[in-house]
Amino acid sequence: MKLVGIAGTVEDKSYNKILLQFIANHFSNLADIEILSIDDIPMFDQDNDQTESGAIQYLNRKISGADGVIIATPEHNHTITAALKSVIEWLSFKVHPFSNKPVMIVGASYYEQGSSRAQLNLRQILEAPGVNAIVFPGNEFLLANVKEAFDDNGRLKDEKTTAFLQTTLQKFLRFVKVINTMNQTAGGHDDAAGSEDLNSKGKISTTIEGVDMTADDWGEKAAEKVNAVEGNTYVKLDRGILTVDQLNYFLNSMPIELTYADSNNQFIYYNKMSSTKKMLAPRRPGQVGDPLSLVHPKRAIQGVKSVIHALRTGKTDMVKMPVPGNGPDKYIMHFYKAMHDEKGEYVGINEFVLDIMPIIKWYLNKTGQKLAADPNAEVDANTGASSKDDEADNSATDADTSASTHDEPEAEASNGDTDATTGASES
Amino acid sequence: MRKFIGLVGTNTTQSTNRQLLQFMKRHFVKQAELELIEVSGLPMFNKPQDMKVPERATEIAKKIDASDGVIISTPEYDHAVPAVLMNALEWLSYGIHPLLDKPVMIIGASFGSLGTSRAQAHLRQMLDSPEISARVMPSSEYLVGHVLEAFDDKGDLTDKDKVEQLDALFADFQQFVEISKELWHTVKVDKKEVQKLGKEDFN
Repeated sequence: MKLVGIAGTVEDKSYNKILLQFIANHFSNLADIEILSIDDIPMFDQDNDQTESGAIQYLNRKISGADGVIIATPEHNHTITAALKSVIEWLSFKVHPFSNKPVMIVGASYYEQGSSRAQLNLRQILEAPGVNAIVFPGNEFLLANVKEAFDDNGRLKDEKTTAFLQTTLQKFLRFVKVINTMNQTAGGHDDAAGSEDLNSKGKISTTIEGVDMTADDWGEKAAEKVNAVEGNTYVKLDRGILTVDQLNYFLNSMPIELTYADSNNQFIYYNKMSSTKKMLAPRRPGQVGDPLSLVHPKRAIQGVKSVIHALRTGKTDMVKMPVPGNGPDKYIMHFYKAMHDEKGEYVGINEFVLDIMPIIKWYLNKTGQKLAADPNAEVDANTGASSKDDEADNSATDADTSASTHDEPEAEASNGDTDATTGASES
Repeated sequence: MRKFIGLVGTNTTQSTNRQLLQFMKRHFVKQAELELIEVSGLPMFNKPQDMKVPERATEIAKKIDASDGVIISTPEYDHAVPAVLMNALEWLSYGIHPLLDKPVMIIGASFGSLGTSRAQAHLRQMLDSPEISARVMPSSEYLVGHVLEAFDDKGDLTDKDKVEQLDALFADFQQFVEISKELWHTVKVDKKEVQKLGKEDFN
């Protein structure tokens, strides 16, 4: 379950920000909650339409991709802040990401009465036709006397309050499921993952045309075609300048395997740090340039499409996938991270692969600890199953795999010359 | 002659809510002076720790202070007051309190038939909060619906009934200003209370 959280304020220090952060951290086993900032959203002005700006598109994309939204609202002058109202106005003008989106409202305040009026007001605003959100009924969560409510680590001190908050959140998660099921049956949902074109037949602004993508020497041919610079030519980067050689030294010495797949689903780069045989997720030089369909086995295609689509649409920013079956000394992880340009547009996937076991061992060694199975852990050993993707509990899942309880293959082999992108759609 | 401030609760250049106030200014020119003030151009309210209010807000506050009353014209966005007006009211109640016990009349114009009833109710609620504590004229909703047909080329209200209604309301408002002066018992207490309000009253 992927939620986004918005604290309805632009002040630096806000208890509503703290409350939201606490919810995201403390209940990370219940839902993946990403906190969105509204700091850069300008005052709504219909004469100066800024819907296309990066800041607004960022919110639009994140909210659209989420299963639900949590808004923490302060109360100013008996109502919500102008900053939050402005955000909602932008998001009900030319774009409508809140439409049919389940929303839960919470609020923290200094005094007894909480943010009751602001919450009621926000409810009314969110239900206005242009916004059209579906606000979670009842279950008001008002946190009063906030100054005393949190400890120094931003945790709620009162266990009863925390328990109540958990119950409320759990109810909301069920509400989200019901609403989203309703939206699906109402035709509001599309099975869009299928639309991912792994044959890269499309064209994006950086696609190099006129060169056979599948050719082993695509890299060389494509470079020639666009007069790509090389060697000691300087390249200006976001913050710094390197020569192409330096860039290669730098990337090839990364302790992780990096792969770049662009938004046209074309595999265009990997950091050739060692020979194919030695790689955790083996890539061959000749594969560069291939459409993603060519670097995956057929049985993995559906899974690959789901992962890419989830990243493209912002449903999630990162997909993590362990590769089991490597014994207790190796725990290979594949991370798929969505990349975006400065406007927030999806530009492709940064896949990075590493063995996290050495890091874990190093940590245990340095801190004098050892791994022990948690008898209470809700182990989700079959992480490859897509039937449970909504409930996947990443944090609790993987702790005991070093004891190799994983005997179920995870829909993917780490050998061969294929990419290890798997059929799992867990996020 | 009484002096009133008309707060234009929108930042849109083509707004019938501004037009409505401009009409009132002309229409009541012999009865009162009405100065229109734009609420746009203020930075987004971010509750600064030092409680420093932008100069533009202080200027508006001074004008409101010196006036006999305020007429606020609000459009309705998403069933509520537009953010730009909410923002101005936040600045105008953070450490400064020009609207405290100030007589206020609310009006609004909209394209649809409902006028701006929800926004007006919302504005009333805001003006009633401890940090603002204005004296909003009771039972005085003034809504102009279907605004595209409501004004003629000169910007005058075409509907005679609407003009008559406005005349009556404005007469009442002038009366209300006088009556408000009689309500002096709480003024001193209100002033004292509002001085106590600080950063923490904006959660």
